[in-house]
Amino acid sequence: MTCGEAQELITALVDGELHGAARALLETHLYECADCRTALAAGQALKQAIGGAGAQLRAPAALRARILSDPRIFPAQGRSGRRWRDYLWPMPPALRPALAVAILLAVALPAYYFMDYRREPVAVAALASYDLFLQGKLPARRGANADEIAAQLTRAVGGRFHPMGFDFSAMGLRPVAGSVREIQGRKILVAIYQGPDGAILCYTFLGSEEDAPPNSARFFDSEKKMNFYAFSRGRVNAVFHREGDVICILASEISMAELLAVTRSKARPS
Amino acid sequence: MTHLDHLYRFASHLTKDQEQAQDLVQETFVRAIAAHEQFVPGTNLKAWLARILYNFFVDHYQKNKRWSPLDDASDEGNEDWNRGAAENPGPGTQLLGKELGAHISDGLAAIPETFRTPLLLVDMGDFSYEEAAAIISCPVGTIRSRLSRGRKLMARRLKAYVKGPEQK
Repeated sequence: MTCGEAQELITALVDGELHGAARALLETHLYECADCRTALAAGQALKQAIGGAGAQLRAPAALRARILSDPRIFPAQGRSGRRWRDYLWPMPPALRPALAVAILLAVALPAYYFMDYRREPVAVAALASYDLFLQGKLPARRGANADEIAAQLTRAVGGRFHPMGFDFSAMGLRPVAGSVREIQGRKILVAIYQGPDGAILCYTFLGSEEDAPPNSARFFDSEKKMNFYAFSRGRVNAVFHREGDVICILASEISMAELLAVTRSKARPS
Repeated sequence: MTHLDHLYRFASHLTKDQEQAQDLVQETFVRAIAAHEQFVPGTNLKAWLARILYNFFVDHYQKNKRWSPLDDASDEGNEDWNRGAAENPGPGTQLLGKELGAHISDGLAAIPETFRTPLLLVDMGDFSYEEAAAIISCPVGTIRSRLSRGRKLMARRLKAYVKGPEQK
C-alpha cells in the first residue's frame, strides 16, 4: 500500500468507518509509515476540532420562538385548530403522533435534550481530569513510593483490582500521588508520575476494549498480540490498552509516537 | 445537542448567513410537517430533517443563487499526498483552542460546498457515511473521498493555528 492509497482509508479510520481487510491493510501500513501515522493523528485532531467548533454554535432563541409561533408548524388552537388539522393531518396515520411528538420535543423542549446529552466514552471523559490533577485542583494523595500509592488505590476499590504500575524512571518520571475518580459510575484509579520535564497519568479501571473511544486509532502489536488505541483530548495524548479485564490509559503531553512506544514497551500480554 | 441546534448549525455553515440559516431551518420544519407521512417511525429523525434541509437548500437557495459559495478554485488542485502528509501537524499535535472555532468557521466557509457538506454532516452532525450519503444523495464512496479532500483543505487553512511538538 502506498501513502496515496492510504489517504482515503485514513479518513475512514478517523471516522470509525474502516473495517475488515482494508483496515488490516491500513494498520499494517501505519505500523511501518511514520508519515501516515502523522496524517492519522492530524485527521483525528481536525475532526475533533471541527466537532468541537460546531458544538459551540446553538440555535438562537429567536429561531425557536419563530418556529413555535409559525402557524404552519404549530397552529393556534381554537381559531383554526380544526382547519390546520384537516390541512396538515388529512388522515390519521399511525406515524403522525410520533413525528409530532418528536418535532415538539426537538423544538419546544430543548431542556429534554440537554439532559439527554451525548456521553463521552469513559476513556475520553477521564482525560478531563489531566490538567486538574497537574494543577492541584483535584485532590490526590501523595505517596512515598509506587508500592505505597498502589496500596492506597487498591484499598480505595476494596481490592477489586489494582492500578497498573510502571517504571518511567528512564524518562525522569517517578510516581508521586494517586487518586480515585468516579466517572459514569465507574471507579477509575489515577496514578500520577511526574518529573522535571513532564508528567504521565495512568488511569486504570475495569472494562473491555469496547471502552476504547470509537475514533481512536488502533495499533496491533503482533509480537505481544495486543491492541493499542491512540486518541487525544485537546493537547493531551493518550494510549489505551487492556490487560485481562483491567484497562490502562497512559496520558501525557509527550508526542503520540513516543507515548505509544512507551506503552507498548511496558504493556504485558494478558 | 438538539435537532434544532444541529439543523441551525448545518444551515449556518451551508448558507454562511445567520438570517438565511434561520429561514432555512424554519422552512425545514414546515416541509417536515407537510411531508410527515414520509417519515418512518423508528428511523433517524435527525437525518430525515437534515435531508429535507439540504434538499431545500439545493432546490431553493442554490438555484436562486441568493448567495455564491466562496469556492476557492486554487484548492481544487491535486497535490502530492506525501507533501500534504509532511505538512500535516506531527504526533502530539494540538490545535490551539484560542479562537479556533472562528477559524474553523472561516475555513469551512472558504472551502467548496462539495467538500464542506460532508464535513458538516460527519464531523459536526455525527452522521455515518451511509446517513450522509443518503442526505446528499450520493454514493458512500463519494462521501469518503470528499471528506478526505475536505479535511486536507481544512488542514492547510488551519496550519497557522496548529502547533506541532517542535514548537512546544
